[in-house]
Amino acid sequence: MGLLVLALLVALAPVYWMVTISLKTEIDQFARPPKWFTFTPTLEHYYDAFVTRSFSEYLLTSAIVAVVSTACALVIGTLAAYALTRFRLPYNLDRKLSLWILSTRMFPAIVTAVPLFLMMRDLRLVNTKAALIIVYTGFNLPFVVWMMRGFFAEVPRDLEEAALVDGDSRLGALVRVVLPLVTPGLAATAVFCLIVCWNEFLFALVLTQTDAAMTLPVGIAGRVTQYEIKWGVMSAAGAVAMVPILVFALAMQKYLVRGLSLGAVKG
Amino acid sequence: MPRSRRFFSAPANRRELLLPYLLVAPALAVLLALSLYPLIYSVTISLQQETASGVVWTLGHFKRLATDNFFRTAMVHTFIYAAVALAFEFLFGLILALLLNQQIRGRSLFRAGLLVPMMLPPVVVGIVWRLLLNPDFGAINGTLKWLGVNTEHLTWTASPRLALLSVIAVDVWQWTPFVFLVLLAGLQAIPQEPYEAALIDGSSRWQTFRHVTLPLLKPAILIVLLLRTMDLLRVFDQIFILTEGGPAFATEMISLYIYRAAFRFFDFGYAAAMSFVLLALTNIISVIYIKLLKE
Amino acid sequence: MIRTTTLIFAALFLVLLVAASSCTKRGSNARLTIAAIEGVEGEALKQAAVDYEKFTGVHIDVVQFPYANLFDKELLDLNSRTGAYDLLMMDDPWFPRFAESAFLTNLMPLLQKHGKDGPDPDFVAKSVAVCRHPYQTGSLYALPYVGNSQLFFYRKDLFAKYNLKPPATWDDVLAASKAIQEKEKAPDGGKMYGYVMRAAQGNAAVADFMPIFWAFGAEMFDAQGKPTVNSPEGIAALQFMVDLGKYTPPGYVSFNASEVSAHLLQGTAAMSINWPAWISAFGDPAKSKVIGKIEFTTLPSGRKPGQAEIGNWLIAIPRSSQNADLAISFLLWATNSEQMKRSAQRGNPPTRKSLFQDPELVKQFPAYPAQLRSLETSRPRPRTSHWNEIENTFGIFLSKANSGELSPADAMNQANAEIEKILQRAGQ
Repeated sequence: MGLLVLALLVALAPVYWMVTISLKTEIDQFARPPKWFTFTPTLEHYYDAFVTRSFSEYLLTSAIVAVVSTACALVIGTLAAYALTRFRLPYNLDRKLSLWILSTRMFPAIVTAVPLFLMMRDLRLVNTKAALIIVYTGFNLPFVVWMMRGFFAEVPRDLEEAALVDGDSRLGALVRVVLPLVTPGLAATAVFCLIVCWNEFLFALVLTQTDAAMTLPVGIAGRVTQYEIKWGVMSAAGAVAMVPILVFALAMQKYLVRGLSLGAVKG
Repeated sequence: MPRSRRFFSAPANRRELLLPYLLVAPALAVLLALSLYPLIYSVTISLQQETASGVVWTLGHFKRLATDNFFRTAMVHTFIYAAVALAFEFLFGLILALLLNQQIRGRSLFRAGLLVPMMLPPVVVGIVWRLLLNPDFGAINGTLKWLGVNTEHLTWTASPRLALLSVIAVDVWQWTPFVFLVLLAGLQAIPQEPYEAALIDGSSRWQTFRHVTLPLLKPAILIVLLLRTMDLLRVFDQIFILTEGGPAFATEMISLYIYRAAFRFFDFGYAAAMSFVLLALTNIISVIYIKLLKE
Repeated sequence: MIRTTTLIFAALFLVLLVAASSCTKRGSNARLTIAAIEGVEGEALKQAAVDYEKFTGVHIDVVQFPYANLFDKELLDLNSRTGAYDLLMMDDPWFPRFAESAFLTNLMPLLQKHGKDGPDPDFVAKSVAVCRHPYQTGSLYALPYVGNSQLFFYRKDLFAKYNLKPPATWDDVLAASKAIQEKEKAPDGGKMYGYVMRAAQGNAAVADFMPIFWAFGAEMFDAQGKPTVNSPEGIAALQFMVDLGKYTPPGYVSFNASEVSAHLLQGTAAMSINWPAWISAFGDPAKSKVIGKIEFTTLPSGRKPGQAEIGNWLIAIPRSSQNADLAISFLLWATNSEQMKRSAQRGNPPTRKSLFQDPELVKQFPAYPAQLRSLETSRPRPRTSHWNEIENTFGIFLSKANSGELSPADAMNQANAEIEKILQRAGQ
């Protein structure tokens, strides 16, 4: 039991520290010995980050990009996952395709960073939200397919067959009968995708050039100057960046575990 | 689930024959454009060099790789990083999963709290730990000093000796929760019967663990090891923020080196050659894991 | 069914919203985008942009990046001709790379359009020299905005206390560091260090090392352009840096400007080289524990007289910019006397002689005469278009020598070999 409490402290103390930095004046930030609890809080860094600087813009960009690309990945990926689970294709194509789709998840991001940048440049999409959305959809697609395949496999086909007998089309059966059953899976997958998009750094770094298209991680990383590191601003932005994910993840906790276990155990 | 129960019976008409292909087509298109094409492009430029007389096909980049000391060092660092971090993450994750697999009070609270580190953007994790590990003003050294420890030479990410360990520690902090989650899920999926049988047989706790728990947990273990290894080998974000490869090249990782070659020295061909090597290595490792999984 | 349909429609709507917002970006005509450094220099430019907008209605987006990223972004934009930036703020060592590859707009025709036949003679000669490609004699591709050139900082109170002469040579510096570190304690009772320097791999280590390197009589390249960092003088210089490191706070192998500044301001280190941009901080009671105790002088000598390294921030216009005319108007405005004076008041050393001698500014920054002297006798880092790669490599080896991983001789020999490799590759 004690071990668990220690683990919890180790997990949460650094996060707590960052939040306190965001609320401390600069003198307090560097005080020796470190002030864990005894300081007067100030909101100046939050004001600096979100009103004076462009962090509200970054926040909005991150949100839009995450939501749209997750939605796209979910739609495209779920359809593909359904097809690969339910239909037997000649030459074992369904197995091979699934494996290939999965393998793309193994790519280190840096491998595709340069070609994708050049592609976006040729499409004149560099420094736009569209570029990030497209790239992130590509990122999340293999994961969606993998997860949803596991969930679809759990659903016996008799239910769809029954719906067909009742006069429904294949797609209709999918939507009316199967999807409601896999909603927890969809939710878990959606949360994962949102988190991946929200936290992504490398592509956002490479593909954005001005404040109009930068996401939160890029904005946070950009506050390192030669003469001083703006810890207050970075911590304030970091604290706010944490909130949506934590809320989502904690609300979806049960489904996350189920989703991971299905994905992990069934493979 | 047996294949026959999952799949539909033979297609009823022409439209139904096309349906699976139509459903898969958008996904395939996206992946072809965003994964396959960049890969082919990358391989192509890794085999080309610009000379005075135009573009030439050559193995020059790969030859250069063979003698590049920096590349070798970065690879070594990446592998050490991956191996050590993986070992600790697995150890701690397993212990935590075993502890939380029992019915204790506040179990969901613990699970929720322990989840937090892995949810954070790696950039934020980098900031948090950079703050904490600052030798002069960070909370870690501050607290150690207050406890009477001499921290003059404990400069963590500023010390060429301690830097690699420091960044590994940060990774362990962030990703142990992931390992813990997957292993916990795996543990909870194990049915009761084997345990009951072992109890009847009079096995000790260690024996039960070794002969019942571990084998049944094997799929989950291998999956989580595979996923973590892939992620560890391509680490970029936290290192970028924590040390940018320093001090004195002590924490340089392969992704960082590739990034620098591509975007700072504008040597796309060389970066592509290195990416290819990295990709080949990750593929080999994943194949090994999958083979182990199949057994 | 309803849920899926609504989801699809919501997604489509968002996509349209996003597409619309990305389109409007390119519409308006009267706007400029500047890539600038995150920090005091970039902040001043940002303020100037705000003032300019009030003055002319032209909206200027100043996008700031940390030092290393700024170079990456500019290089990427210039090479891929994305035209994202209309003006680039660049550190002078980056200039040869950008100018040589014909990425920058020649400013002379644009100046002539505005009725000028050259850069204002009020600009310090050395500052304008780095804006030309080839160095000093070639065409003008940028205008200098921040006139940084190194100064040597030392605690005059401690020197007086221990009867030390102001440091004139590097040997003086070493002796004084030893004396002060052995006898003095820091204000908070902790350890006092004689010296503090930047030795983080890359730009930091190299910038702090070059004055020592030059003072010892070493040169990076010989007359034929071959690297000679491992000459006996070069190795002696690196050995000296390592020796000086004994009197520097541990961890200096990853120090950058923020750590050096912190040690000086907190009073835990007695001497350092650095850029004048922080002189204002030393007089700020909220930040400094050493008000009135710091003196500045020109760089110490060795075998050769001490020469400061110049480190000006320049502003150039990329060829790929769509708004060159608008950009040059802003550039000329921002670098005129009145605006540059404002920038100076915000902490940026100017690049105009008249401003270094302006009585109001001299009152605010008493070190200006020393700065002007330093700037006028300063020396740039080698003007090669491969500087970034060379600096990166050289910096790694400097770091390794300072961390004890390599002996100075080994470090310099290996560095020389690597630099040779870089030049060979480029020669292909």
